[in-house]
Amino acid sequence: MNAIQIKMREVAGQLLSLGEVDRVIGWEKGRFAHQSPPAFITDETKVERLIWDEYCLTGTAKYLLDDPYRAGKTGLFARGCDARAINRLIQDGQVKRENIVIIGICCTGMSDSVSRQMAAKCCDCTHPTPVVYDLMIGEPVKPVAKPERFKAVAELEQKAAQEKSEYWTRQFAKCIRCYACRNICPACNCRECFADQYRVGWLGKQHHTAENQVFGLTRAYHIADRCIECGECARVCPVGIPLMELNRKLIKDIQQLFGDYHAGVDSETAPPLGRYSLDDMEEFM
Amino acid sequence: MALMTEANWEPKVLAFCCNWCSYSGADLVGLNRMKYPENVRIVRVPCSARVNPQFIIRAFQRGADGVLVAGCHPGDCHYSTGNYYTRRRFLVMKRLLEFIGIESQRFQARWISGAEAVKFRDTVTKLCEDIKALGPQRKLRDQK
Repeated sequence: MNAIQIKMREVAGQLLSLGEVDRVIGWEKGRFAHQSPPAFITDETKVERLIWDEYCLTGTAKYLLDDPYRAGKTGLFARGCDARAINRLIQDGQVKRENIVIIGICCTGMSDSVSRQMAAKCCDCTHPTPVVYDLMIGEPVKPVAKPERFKAVAELEQKAAQEKSEYWTRQFAKCIRCYACRNICPACNCRECFADQYRVGWLGKQHHTAENQVFGLTRAYHIADRCIECGECARVCPVGIPLMELNRKLIKDIQQLFGDYHAGVDSETAPPLGRYSLDDMEEFM
Repeated sequence: MALMTEANWEPKVLAFCCNWCSYSGADLVGLNRMKYPENVRIVRVPCSARVNPQFIIRAFQRGADGVLVAGCHPGDCHYSTGNYYTRRRFLVMKRLLEFIGIESQRFQARWISGAEAVKFRDTVTKLCEDIKALGPQRKLRDQK
């Protein structure tokens, strides 16, 4: 049994028995050896359920929104991506910092359940150590700049308009509009999503490529400056649409146009599209 | 009115014009007895910042061949700062549209003041010419 797991159970047991929190969210072993779904533990005698292995892929932060009016504090196990997701939710006014005890875990990357290689979202991770925490497990490491994560975007940018269009049409033709990408996304935290407000006319219910593309693009743009690059959308997509390429395109452009910005690294700096500067680039004269 | 076919195709251009500057600018074109292409459909909005980027995606999906967003010059916004937000939004949006394969000429944003009738006319004329050269926009369209 690994040291992080022992420490996780110990910390969770303490927090629950002292009444500091009334539930903890972590991971447990599910039905399959290669999957570790999230665990919700309210009883200190059940902390043995908690595990830490190479398949703890699921983000924990979004589960805070399942019951937005819940009384009581939550102990949340958070890796780098989850910590940024918590900042995202705090900044968007969805959760209160004082209602969460963040137990940071210094993550070294997870494995993909199918390929058993390092998961794509972890290969591109820039902040493996939590950026916000109350307690920390493991040895913190410095954030790494990974410019190579924009490689796929840069390659696609070079292609002709027709080719790009064909590429994205092919991708979105696969979409089954399950909205898993939206459901898992910590930046997609609107109480009512535009995709559900079908009588308003933002998005039709018809299932065809054009509507799928409109859904995908609107969602991408809606989270453009708030995407924390956890890569969960692309991971949960059952048909394998490279959604992170859209998000990374937006992140790349925003960084180039409005300066270096990493969403969710702190909860103070406003997202770039929610503010402006008098000397922004002028292209529309 | 004759049915539109491939042979006599005319572009549909949607122009979002801010009430305070660009819409007056478009009005002034008429007052000055100048002409601009009838392919342009103008939607008057209170401020260019009212234009949700999704409107652009939706316009292309529903049959627009080109979209123009026109607002007051930076510094001249009726609401002081609206067009600064517009600028940020559409700098990013323009690049996203190019990334998914919409030709860059099809989406334009321009600052057109209430006095710039000639600029409005020239902008939409150029836009319509560019789009005529490109042909119909089919990329995000609803399949029939």
